[in-house]
Amino acid sequence: MSREKLDQMADRERERQEKFDRRVFCCISTACLSAGAGRTMQALKDGLEASQSGDKVEVVQTGCMGLCSRGPLVRVRENTGEETYYADVTTELAEELIAKYVPLSEPKAGDEALAPEIIETRSRLEAARRKRTLKKHILSQNLPFFTKQVKVVLRDVGYVDPEKLEDYLAHGGYQALYKAITEMTPEEVCDEMSRSGLRGRGGAGFPTGTKWTFVRKAESDIKYVVVNGDEGDPGAYMDRTMMEDNPHQVLEGMMIAAYAVGAYHGFFYIRGEYPIAIDRIRRAIRAARRAGILGDSILGSDFNFNADVRIGAGAFVCGEETALIHSIEGKRGMPRMRPPYPATSGLWGKPTVINNVETMASVPAILLNGADWYAKIGTDQSKGTKVFALAGQLTNTGLIEVPMGISLREIVYEMGDNVPGDAEFKAAQTGGPSGGCIPMSHVDTPVDYERLKELGSIMGSGGLVIIDSTTSMPQFARFFMDFCVDESCGKCVPCRVGTVQIRALLDKLLEGRGQVGDLERLEEVCEIVKSTSLCGLGQSAPNPVLSTLQFFREEYEILLPS
Amino acid sequence: MITLTIDGKKIQIEEGTNVLEAALRNGIDIPHLCYHSDLSVSGGCRLCQVEVEGYDQPVTSCGMACAEGLVIQTQSERLTAIRRNLIDIFLADHPLDCVTCDKAGSCLLQKYAYEYGVKETSYIPIYSKTLYQDDNPFFIRDHQYCILCGRCVRVCDEIVGVHAIDFANRGFESHIATPYDGPMIDSSCVFCGNCVEVCPTAALLPVSRLKRGREWDLERVDSICGYCGVGCKIEYAVKDNEIIYAQASVQESVNGSFLCTKGRYGWDFAVNPERLTQPMVRRDLAYSLGISTENWRLPKVSPLDIDKPDVDDYFIPVDWETAYEIVSSKLVDIVKESGPDAIVGLASARCTNEENYLFQKLMRAVIGTNNVDHCARL
Repeated sequence: MSREKLDQMADRERERQEKFDRRVFCCISTACLSAGAGRTMQALKDGLEASQSGDKVEVVQTGCMGLCSRGPLVRVRENTGEETYYADVTTELAEELIAKYVPLSEPKAGDEALAPEIIETRSRLEAARRKRTLKKHILSQNLPFFTKQVKVVLRDVGYVDPEKLEDYLAHGGYQALYKAITEMTPEEVCDEMSRSGLRGRGGAGFPTGTKWTFVRKAESDIKYVVVNGDEGDPGAYMDRTMMEDNPHQVLEGMMIAAYAVGAYHGFFYIRGEYPIAIDRIRRAIRAARRAGILGDSILGSDFNFNADVRIGAGAFVCGEETALIHSIEGKRGMPRMRPPYPATSGLWGKPTVINNVETMASVPAILLNGADWYAKIGTDQSKGTKVFALAGQLTNTGLIEVPMGISLREIVYEMGDNVPGDAEFKAAQTGGPSGGCIPMSHVDTPVDYERLKELGSIMGSGGLVIIDSTTSMPQFARFFMDFCVDESCGKCVPCRVGTVQIRALLDKLLEGRGQVGDLERLEEVCEIVKSTSLCGLGQSAPNPVLSTLQFFREEYEILLPS
Repeated sequence: MITLTIDGKKIQIEEGTNVLEAALRNGIDIPHLCYHSDLSVSGGCRLCQVEVEGYDQPVTSCGMACAEGLVIQTQSERLTAIRRNLIDIFLADHPLDCVTCDKAGSCLLQKYAYEYGVKETSYIPIYSKTLYQDDNPFFIRDHQYCILCGRCVRVCDEIVGVHAIDFANRGFESHIATPYDGPMIDSSCVFCGNCVEVCPTAALLPVSRLKRGREWDLERVDSICGYCGVGCKIEYAVKDNEIIYAQASVQESVNGSFLCTKGRYGWDFAVNPERLTQPMVRRDLAYSLGISTENWRLPKVSPLDIDKPDVDDYFIPVDWETAYEIVSSKLVDIVKESGPDAIVGLASARCTNEENYLFQKLMRAVIGTNNVDHCARL
């Protein structure tokens, strides 16, 4: 497809959207769907149909609006740009919403014989018009939860229909790709990424530009690009949201990566527990292929690229890049030693770029707005924004995108609106089971790669679990050790046997059988597992114990005989 | 060639060799359980860590390629501590019943525990596996001793090309399994026993050696396998003049560390009373040649119809000279009487190529016929 046709498609869609007086967006991402958004969406659609005003108002299925704890979320956007958010939208509320925003038009000529169910809906809408509950569900946009966010990656999430390529194009989609392949050399793309300071959002924080440059310089006829969508930290769902809610953005980032390194084929590796993400990425691939954005001679250039989806089979360790490669190759998902790194010998022994979903999703905005624009956001060493999944004991939980370097205090007390009830904030776990807990005493720590590392934690992929004062930290550590025991692949002995031993020691303490010296022993075993394990999973498995021992040692000490 | 220094010794080695292999080939033993020179690298046992000049942290030597000028230390206080810790963890999931173990004396875990002075585990012993499988006549699988080094899986996949076994389940629940944990006989296993050969512990043992003596009770006898022309070197473990088990003899052999099922398990003929150990002549022929005085006639009942015919009822032993004499004079007679084409020669696949070559030469040049064939063609 040529640039002109692409622009035409985007213009047509924009014109179509502008025709409506207002558009009603309903979130159909997993969190809202599990809160009943499927029914809400249906009620909105039925109401619109019954109102006979489909030419004035449009109901749009869209992605995450952030405040998942208040889902299903609905946003009404006037043609003037004015927006109103509604939370906890049940089917009754959906009808009230339609009654408020959609005029009940008279049946058109020749359409008098309305179906009985439509007549029934119309009468319900009439009744709903008199209700006054809607007001209580309005979500103010002045909440710090919204105002503190800086949206780069999630910019269009919650506005585009994830199943509609035209909508993505209307939001400027694939312009970055076009810019890359027509105006930039692969080397320039890599340099731009380096200058932007973007670091891997999967957790380790390796500079993306450097990684791409390695692969670009690697000599090989065949190279691969892999998007790592095997998000597995308990409580984390940033990547799922990206894949579900704006799959084309991830695909575009992947294609730019492919262009930059000289790859002709790529894989999305998505965990099997994300059926909606798998479905939407597949739809995006099909739509892009049909439109000539994916395939041979992309957008009229001589760049060819194809993408496929591979589904994970439920192993956490397959998020580790070498285990992921094995899994795509059809082997048992077990990590191998590095070097060689995938950049020199990856998928089927070929140079391979493996980037996390969020990293890929950051790429289009960086190319369009420039590296300097991106590098202005964030701190010295950690540039840009980071998406966090706020979970745990917090009033507002959901998905936020904040600039690097924001303090934990702002996230917890302002955006999260503190811990609910009488309890108090105690600690925040970053980086999932591989991360650590940051206590109240460090709540003013700026959240970036370096500072979290100094505190014995890691940035991780973006899971942020808030723990309140009712939680016992040894119990908390026990939960995550259980997770690590379960998810150890079994290849190396420190992780396979060591994690079980750590859990056994925790059990001994928690069951009141603790002895003097047990804590020292616990630390010793954790250090052994940490320093001798083969892959990142084993090396970080003891972190929940070590970090809670570091900051909450007194909670362990009371488990010992006095 | 690359030059590097291991423990102060300058070593020259081909590019692409890993540090552990370079050390082993030069007589420097770095402890290792999962590594095997003929298999791909795993890195799961973590024991072979070494100190590399310029590196803060110890490096797993099996996973590190030799590079020009590397300076490596295989022994240090820190490494000893790491190795002790690892052996300690291994022993937390491995019964310490060495006193009754068949593998005692050749078990690698026992060897390293001895070398590093780990008398017992400092952990709470928690055993992950208890399965005992004796579902085939060749080897047993006693999972409690398995340390999941994966050598058996790799040898089956990479050397034998059968991939009958692999890891099943995950983490602490991992174990080596056939598909769906079925009996060995239902898997694609060819019972070559190379997995048994490379197993460092007592998890895989030949049935024939169970409770038949420990390593130091057994005498080693080198031999060449007679089953085919390859001529694999075999080492028989012998006790009281009986073979206990067979394994590949690695030194200067054509077969490296591996054997096939015949060589490894098919040695019971060696002590079979029915085995022919000298030439024999049928009794009627012996009488006609004057070797025997007994006027014997072939019974009307065919030996094939007798349940267990005794070879001595039909044949008498002669020495090799006599046997050659009889064969050559008979051949000369036949050629004289009916021409060379009345003779056909059939060679055996158990002979070497050289032997088979000489045999056809004998048939063509000495006897004068092209009637020569080979059992492998049938």
